[in-house]
Amino acid sequence: MRIILIGFGNLGKGLARIFVDKADFLRKTYGLVPHVVAVADERGAAMDENGLNLSKLLKVAEKKSVAAYEGGKRGKMALEVIEDMEADVVYELTPTNIKNGEPGFTHIKRAMLTGKHVITSNKGPLVVAFGELDSLARKCGVEFRYSASVGGAIPVINLARRLLAGNEIREVCGVLNGTTNYILTRMSTEGVPFEIVLREAQELGIAEKDPTLDIRGIDTACKITILANSILGIDAKLEHVKVTGIDRISSEAIRLAREAGQTIKLVGVARRGSLEVGPRLVPFGHPLAVGGTLNAVKFELDLAREITITGFGAGPQETSSSLLGDLIDIHRTLGG
Amino acid sequence: MLVKIVMELEDVPGQLLKALEPISRFGGNIQSIMHQRERKTPLGRVPVMLVFEISDKARMNKILNELRTMGVRITQLGEREGAVRSTVLLVGHIVHTDIMGTIDRLNGIRGVMVSDLSLAMGAPNKESAARMTITAGDEKRLRLAISTLRRAAGRKKLLMITSLEETE
Repeated sequence: MRIILIGFGNLGKGLARIFVDKADFLRKTYGLVPHVVAVADERGAAMDENGLNLSKLLKVAEKKSVAAYEGGKRGKMALEVIEDMEADVVYELTPTNIKNGEPGFTHIKRAMLTGKHVITSNKGPLVVAFGELDSLARKCGVEFRYSASVGGAIPVINLARRLLAGNEIREVCGVLNGTTNYILTRMSTEGVPFEIVLREAQELGIAEKDPTLDIRGIDTACKITILANSILGIDAKLEHVKVTGIDRISSEAIRLAREAGQTIKLVGVARRGSLEVGPRLVPFGHPLAVGGTLNAVKFELDLAREITITGFGAGPQETSSSLLGDLIDIHRTLGG
Repeated sequence: MLVKIVMELEDVPGQLLKALEPISRFGGNIQSIMHQRERKTPLGRVPVMLVFEISDKARMNKILNELRTMGVRITQLGEREGAVRSTVLLVGHIVHTDIMGTIDRLNGIRGVMVSDLSLAMGAPNKESAARMTITAGDEKRLRLAISTLRRAAGRKKLLMITSLEETE
């Protein structure tokens, strides 16, 4: 399969590493040979019709743009790469922009219009224009996969859409942000104040330098928007989600909760007629009372009643599990 | 609500303890246990009568399902409305925004009572936190009390954290 990677940050590099490490496994198990024919970052692109040497490319990209790879081009932009290169699949892995979804939105549309399947982890285009992209994919006759956009390694969307396909999904709710869950867990187990745990999380690389999107619940709201669209069939946008963050949660509040056998979690809930994100009281021992950076998602279903799934919601290797799964799935569905 | 059940347990050590575990796990508060050894069934099982308090029907059903899954036979089941409750947390300038007024208003709803209040003062000029338990005669009244509290919290710029089971 011929593949284009757009975006070569932690996720892109992580995926390239997995392609190298699992080359034998993919060939033997699925007859899948991923030829990465182009990689673009914000400064340029590396291209090779016969497939790039990913180990070499990873080495180059440690310090420089991928354009420094043999035969690479500075200033060659992602859009041109998508148009110029022959490929089966485009991975759109640029950073999330919740305002207008760009540049991912345009990348995805161009890939579809030029007949390429799209796999993305980018929440921006999905929260801005899920419906538009979904119908464009259908119109162009290409596959559009975004498993990695919600829950990182946890197969939330595919579990719901495939294995639970016979159920009516009444509600999906979950702890969908590892950063805030780490902060709330530390506050609950150690009694440490919010500001101190936040700083600690930033030093550990669990929280970003600007943690606003996580702390204010906006990242969780993005995921709720995607789940509402993809598994509940609600035509929702980010602004339809009622959001409250965790920035007002004090050690005192956590202690009062603990004394009543409860913990505070940032929970997103999607059900017909109500999309909301906010701190909630969750009893210790409840399936959503997961610790550390773990995520958990609970489905309420008419037949199966309740199913909860837990796992790591972030990290390049963990997210690669979903990104690679989407590729194998396209390969198995369509061959090639 | 109060739930009374009679279940039959095998007459071997540890059975009662095992049967009580799901009740506490799902938040049930056991009020009485009566072991009726003298009324052993022909199969040698011992009837045990148990009364426990539980916040809602969903949790009661979870407990009953768990017990059935464990192979416990439930021979009688009775429930009495009368004590549904919910715990909420409030964060903000609670004392300065007249928490007593809010409690009076909730207590003014027929069949509703604020049954517990714990206050944790923050540092000077910082927000404080309160945990409130609202008890009501039935689910409908409890919902009314919670939405009344939600409106008050909105006016007073308090952050209100409800239990996962509460829906808006």
